Amino acid sequence: MPLAYTLPSNLSPATVANTSSLLRIVALALISGAAIASRLFAVVNFESIIHEFDPWFNYRATKVLAEKGFYEFWNWFDHTAWYPLGRVVGGTIYPGLMATSGVIYNVLHALHLPVDIRNICVLLAPGFSALTAWSTYMFTKEMKDESAGLLAAVFIGIAPGYISRSVAGSYDNEAIAIFLLMYTFYCWIKALKTGSVLYGTLTALFYFYMVAAWGGYAFITNMIPLHALTLILMGRFSSRLYTAYSSWYAIGTLASMQVPFVGFQPVRTSEHMAALGVFGLLQIVAFAELVRAHVSSKQFQSILFGSVIVIGLLGVFAFAGLTYKGWIAPWTGRFYSLWDTGYAKKYIPIIASVSEHQPTAWPSFFMDLQFLIFIFPAGVVLCFRELRDEHVFVIIYAVVASYFAGVMVRLMLTLTPVVCVAAAIAFSSLLDTYIDPVEPEVPVASTEAETPARDSPANVAPGSATTSKKAKKAAAADASSSGLASGVLAALSPSGKSAKPRGIFGLDSRALVIANALGMLLFFVLHCTYVTSTAYSSPSVVLASQNPDGSQHIIDDFREAYYWLRQNTPQDAVVMSWWDYGYQIAGMADRPTLVDNNTWNNTHIATVGKAMSSPEEVAYPILRKHDVDYVLIIFGGLIGYSGDDINKFLWMVRIAQGVWPEEIQEPNYFTAKGEYRVDDQAAPAMKNSLMYKMSYYRFAELYGGNQAVDRVRGQQVPKTGPTLDYLDEAFTSENWIVRIYQVKKEDPLGRDLKTANSFDQGKKRKKSKPLSRRKAVV
Amino acid sequence: MRFLRQLLLPVLALASLALARSSTGDSVLILLDPSLKKEDFSVFFGDLEKKGYQLTFRSPKDATPEIIKDDVAQFAHVVVFAPNTKSFAADVTPQSLVSLLSKNTNLLLALSPKQTPLSSLASEFSLILPPPGTPLVSHFPKRDTPPTVIPVDVPATHDIISPNLPPVWFSGVPQALGNNPMLVPILKAPPQAFASDADSDKGADALVEAAEKSGEGLWAGSSLSLVTGFQALSNARATWLGGVELFSDDFINKEISKGVKSGNRQFASDVAAWTFQESHVLRIDSVEHHRVNETLPRETYTINDRVTYTTYISKYNPELDLWEPYSGIKDMQLEFTMLDPHIRTSLPPIAGEPGKYSVTFRVPDRHGVFKFVNDYKRKGWTYLTSSTVVPVVPPRHDEYPRFLSAAWPYYAGAFSTSAAFVLFVTLWLAGDDREPKKSKGAKAE
Repeated sequence: MPLAYTLPSNLSPATVANTSSLLRIVALALISGAAIASRLFAVVNFESIIHEFDPWFNYRATKVLAEKGFYEFWNWFDHTAWYPLGRVVGGTIYPGLMATSGVIYNVLHALHLPVDIRNICVLLAPGFSALTAWSTYMFTKEMKDESAGLLAAVFIGIAPGYISRSVAGSYDNEAIAIFLLMYTFYCWIKALKTGSVLYGTLTALFYFYMVAAWGGYAFITNMIPLHALTLILMGRFSSRLYTAYSSWYAIGTLASMQVPFVGFQPVRTSEHMAALGVFGLLQIVAFAELVRAHVSSKQFQSILFGSVIVIGLLGVFAFAGLTYKGWIAPWTGRFYSLWDTGYAKKYIPIIASVSEHQPTAWPSFFMDLQFLIFIFPAGVVLCFRELRDEHVFVIIYAVVASYFAGVMVRLMLTLTPVVCVAAAIAFSSLLDTYIDPVEPEVPVASTEAETPARDSPANVAPGSATTSKKAKKAAAADASSSGLASGVLAALSPSGKSAKPRGIFGLDSRALVIANALGMLLFFVLHCTYVTSTAYSSPSVVLASQNPDGSQHIIDDFREAYYWLRQNTPQDAVVMSWWDYGYQIAGMADRPTLVDNNTWNNTHIATVGKAMSSPEEVAYPILRKHDVDYVLIIFGGLIGYSGDDINKFLWMVRIAQGVWPEEIQEPNYFTAKGEYRVDDQAAPAMKNSLMYKMSYYRFAELYGGNQAVDRVRGQQVPKTGPTLDYLDEAFTSENWIVRIYQVKKEDPLGRDLKTANSFDQGKKRKKSKPLSRRKAVV
Repeated sequence: MRFLRQLLLPVLALASLALARSSTGDSVLILLDPSLKKEDFSVFFGDLEKKGYQLTFRSPKDATPEIIKDDVAQFAHVVVFAPNTKSFAADVTPQSLVSLLSKNTNLLLALSPKQTPLSSLASEFSLILPPPGTPLVSHFPKRDTPPTVIPVDVPATHDIISPNLPPVWFSGVPQALGNNPMLVPILKAPPQAFASDADSDKGADALVEAAEKSGEGLWAGSSLSLVTGFQALSNARATWLGGVELFSDDFINKEISKGVKSGNRQFASDVAAWTFQESHVLRIDSVEHHRVNETLPRETYTINDRVTYTTYISKYNPELDLWEPYSGIKDMQLEFTMLDPHIRTSLPPIAGEPGKYSVTFRVPDRHGVFKFVNDYKRKGWTYLTSSTVVPVVPPRHDEYPRFLSAAWPYYAGAFSTSAAFVLFVTLWLAGDDREPKKSKGAKAE
């Protein structure tokens, strides 16, 4: 057996095994370090601060948990949110994240480490990313081997697709959910492989943790049954599958029902019915297998299988009937929007209005996964070559997650792990093939062929010296197991002649490919670092821009405004804003809000949308009815902050139109030509809307007589700006990003405020006449 | 605390017996037109001073004393007897007069047929004045005074005015009333009276015709008001007099019929008492709410709790300068509101406990941020508004009922399954171990 280069032969297998395991541990530690470190850009560039929107709520909830204990948190009724409806927080959240932080907080404090709860929250996501890397390693190890596992761990550790949801400060459910997802899958694969009830139970426990942590648990709820069903259909039913699935389903479902927010959903909603159906099917199949084991008649067996099908069909009909009867909730709108990307825009604008629910743009696949996305299919193909039960899982996962990632941007997150796993399998196969020193035997006798070969399958442990005959067999086995890449090459080569030896000759070709592969990895690291530091590490509470000299300029309008609210308004002053800012107002300003990012009540949001898109006199009664004291809007026109409320305004109109189609109509907010304008030619409905008036109130004055320009829309704003009768400007932040208006009290004389205002400005009132209560008798 | 206050108040009242009678203060600024003499109103002003008011006189064109200084109202009451003044000092504008109302300063304003800044201010109070130069005219009953000097019957039973007053002499401009609920008509015009620009009745037909043609309403009849009160949301009061002569010594001493003095003096005193917040002044002393069988309020209530809401109301007694518990309100209501009232119930006075109004009700089966709203607005009376926010929460995790009869099948199921499992394990472990071998063998096949 020829070798491209020689390997040391004087090492005992034990030494090799010990060294490699030490190296693995060191590598995993370094990967964890890299995963954590790359997520700290946000802290280094800005500060230790909670990011974005949802994390602010999670942070607030965690504070309640840490301060008042778990039971108070469980029973927490947040009367400052969704004023005046309030929110039963304990029953409407996934408490896993807060509970995790709370446990960490209490453990640290029990150890007399007085760590601030905010820092725990900020650093939770990076910490768990290290665990994710480890669990991905475990998962991939089950698919191929340790080296592939290490590669997968590196990939998941720094892939931007996952970093985007787990930078320091991004204190969201996804921060721990991806770890739980991967670990649940690992346990499931392990349970399936071993048929162990212990691992099945572990799967269920981690499934429970996942259910408690993230709404995306439904992904597991459907992935595992889908895998089981596929295995049954492939004729791979086994007692291992039966044990693993039954223990997972029974314990996992019961456990998941303990989460108040989930409650009876696992037995009442369609999303969970697949798991139940497969559970039932497994019992039937198991029963059929049992009967088959005892009965020999083939006819009987076929009848049995017929009955299996009949029972299956009956089950489906029963399911349909129950759904029709209303016992099982039909699919929700969020579910439909997964299949029809236009569905949400038509029927549930509240979902469509969220940018992360939009279909994914192609470049973002590259942005989030770089070269992994290219070798991801290769990894899936390699799974096909071996196609053990666990490989089927990866294939299904890959197909399903790819589809979902294409439908919704945020589901890129669930795709990332499988891409990392599949890419690691492919990449590791490539490296295995090219690092392996074994060269194919050339039929023409050569000097190399004569030399006694030392077989070294794969890269881990050089096997003991064997005869060349054995080596051949081993090499053949290699070709089908570890050296898959060469196998693929073989399959693709047109000749297909067995006589011609296939493989890699010489060191140069090896060096070339390996150098290229290392180059790809290197660029991947550079890309990930670059994307992480520039795109995904912005807290979005604090904005950064560059001064002319290149130094960083921090725009801190949000916190400026929220702290203004906190310090200058009464504790119970109700603030109305679009729902995007609800959590931040609650978290930073500590004031009641009308609507927030937990978009559970569409009507309430539509009410705010209506108030924002109506003229002042229509909006005022709405504001009074909801006890609104302040209205907060985001206006980017001065410095060109494009995520402002005027750009979101059409969603407010659409959502309001969904509830009040007679009063609010979207076309009215466009010009006759169908343009969305804010300048002189803006539509009357647009110009009279509260949102427009609040945005551009006194904006033109800022330009001192020059033409005022909205830098987001790139349009020239009229020189005489809108006037406000029912609101007073209370606060405008430094860069005008946040503007806060105070709602005026009712006029003491009972006039409408418009009249009162014109009176205050000294305008003459039109002379009125006595009301003719009756006709004068002539 | 309440007890202490009840004890202290009479003492304080005795000490301040000589002081003003108004519930808001005793300083009165009188803007008196130079054309009017202080002596002509000596009875009215004298009555006020007798009651304990400190009167400060100022010509409308004087700069001092200011009515508002540093955004603080300097007087508790402002009387504007300047019906003919066309231009006021800079600090007396319609706007500043309105802003006085939100600073809880009371106003007494006199109008005249002339067009002045005040007549344009009147329209802000939903008073609709006839065109300039059209005073109220009436030819009935037959008398020797000019037709613009009219004896007006005072309503026999009126909240604000003393009962059974003789008619009062009136001369001035009538006001038609807009549909503002804050208006409190005090004196209505006689049915035969009308507003006309002519001193004689020659033009009367022409006036009616003009009104018909142009579609204007008619400034005539008893729907016109001569003295109109206005109770602003801030509880400050403003009273518009159709003519300043109503309060003059001349009219006060003028006889209505032989030997019967006019009611002007008492009328003026009653109007001033109402305007200066002496009479018909109420306040909410305190508001309490708690669960039945408890005494302290809770931060939150649970749905379906039985809750008692109590409010204590006092009425101002001008005789003693004292707030006295008042149980005279029979039609007060309490609303338990979240966006809309979920519960609206009467809030009756409790017999035997003066000033206490209380009601017990069941909190609705709906969680949210509720408000106890007591919004009592009656014409002529101080507005009583109180709003107490209280969150209503669902039961805590340990407050739900347990061991329901409906749950027994589940308990039975759980326990029987557990028992069956134990039994099965026992049998399995204690059973013959040939069985599993056989099944293994079967599997191997």
